[in-house]
Amino acid sequence: MRKSRRDQAGRLAVWVLVGPYVVFLVAFGLAPAAFGLWTSLGSWGEVFGDYRLGAAVRNVALYLVLWLPVLVLLVLSLALTLHARPGRFAGVMRFVYYLPGAVTGSAAALLWLFMMSPDVSPFGPLLGALGIGSASQALQGDGLIGVLVVMGVAIHAGGWIVVLYGALTALPRDVLEAAAVDGATPWRITRHVKLPLVRRYVAFVLISSFASGTQVFVEPTVLETSARGQISPTWSVNQLAYFYATQEGDFGRAAALSLAMLAVGLVAALLVIYKTRFYRTDAV
Amino acid sequence: MTRRAFLALAGVFFVLPLVWMVLAPTRTADSLIGGPPLAFGSIANVASAWGNLMAYNDGELAGWIGNSVGYAAASVALTLLLSIPAGYALAKHDFAGRRAVLTLTLIGMILPQTALVLPLYLEMTAAGLTGTPWSVILPLAFYPFGVYLAYLHFASALPGAILDAGRVDGAGELRLFLTIGLPLARPAIGLIAFFGFVNVWTNFFLPFVMLDDDRTFTLQLGLMSLLQSTGAVNASSGFSSLNIHQPEAALAGLVACAPTLAAFLVAQRALRTGMLAGAEKG
Repeated sequence: MRKSRRDQAGRLAVWVLVGPYVVFLVAFGLAPAAFGLWTSLGSWGEVFGDYRLGAAVRNVALYLVLWLPVLVLLVLSLALTLHARPGRFAGVMRFVYYLPGAVTGSAAALLWLFMMSPDVSPFGPLLGALGIGSASQALQGDGLIGVLVVMGVAIHAGGWIVVLYGALTALPRDVLEAAAVDGATPWRITRHVKLPLVRRYVAFVLISSFASGTQVFVEPTVLETSARGQISPTWSVNQLAYFYATQEGDFGRAAALSLAMLAVGLVAALLVIYKTRFYRTDAV
Repeated sequence: MTRRAFLALAGVFFVLPLVWMVLAPTRTADSLIGGPPLAFGSIANVASAWGNLMAYNDGELAGWIGNSVGYAAASVALTLLLSIPAGYALAKHDFAGRRAVLTLTLIGMILPQTALVLPLYLEMTAAGLTGTPWSVILPLAFYPFGVYLAYLHFASALPGAILDAGRVDGAGELRLFLTIGLPLARPAIGLIAFFGFVNVWTNFFLPFVMLDDDRTFTLQLGLMSLLQSTGAVNASSGFSSLNIHQPEAALAGLVACAPTLAAFLVAQRALRTGMLAGAEKG
């Protein structure tokens, strides 16, 4: 009798501790998704019939096709190069790559607009060689995707380099040494030993970046407001959903489209958890 | 040698924009356009650029800074209040629904935050909260990565035997948390506050959607309206009566990034651990 009352008090205590978080989890995680689903009923057909959706999907797809390979290759090659010759220089460089991650959102858009303006940019000669005479020219046509790719790489590469480098330093030393003793060249060790061992991390980088890339919103929005008329306000899928909600006042379509995007993110999240087993806790 | 050259070349790409942003406010607009892009001007120029920024819309920038600080402080405080006890309970207690809460927390961590912004906006509109600071503070206080960090910390740093000893002495579960768990949570509090702060401070999409009165804007939102009047893109579109040019815009950008840059410098040691993984999204 005493014991069970104690158990009951214990259960109550646990919910005092975890309850407030669960309330927030429901209110700002599950509820908006459920409410969105309710709001979206009847609007799905309209959304998928909208000609602007096709254009937005093409834009985002092209952005991903260019950005993802550049990001992953750069991150991998820099992390492997840093790891091949660790030391003071490598330590400093690792930090240098990481810093631009602090400049995000509208600050990043502002900074890179200046970087694309030949009259003030330290990359002036490079821009000249590419035939870019002004920031507005850099944003014209497919130039926008180029600017977004460069921005996206500068912002995200550093954090991933740190993660991948951390994974490399955690590799078992004896395996790498055994390969070296067997006469494997540094290149062969990288290609056949290190790379397969950090595959899980590369998959994690790829899936997470894919998920966040599909949701691209901030950068094209900020670039659009500063170069009005040049860039479509419905350039990306999320921008189109935002446009539905705020410019056309159509919450049904906005909800349908953002739920479709949510589903893409959810699939990616589940892939990370169950396929790459990146978060190995006893919960999954 | 080629290795070093490759690393250094990449370093130039990453660091040159930052160096430019630090140097640009020390110049005048004319010297920036006519002279070398990377050179130090004078401190007096920084002061005059700051003066021009502060004069913009009667000191609106100061209000934006205040808003950003206020939203971040409130939201991080709430995050800590929610995530430390929750992480402790998830790590040290088995209860019905624990698995579900943990799995949803993991999903919330990995899911790009932007994916939920518009559904949140629809929900907040129905609740009549859009336009208020709460529409930004409350959703950002839900920070699954913070709960995950607290969970990891308590799972590894707090042996169950200590709690059992306390139970034998007759201490209740809440008392055990307050007297044993909480004092041990200090490293986790630091980490969660760091990542939570960076997350709130740099967030753009959520306040952009929720807030429409420019007096409630965050610094990230304010920067966008500044950008429109700098003529960085269309030289002709800048309002000539405003003294907002490239040095002023660069200074505003620097102010917006300064807290995150400072946080990164302080947190350099944490970079060695793989702890950053979950912060890399959105």
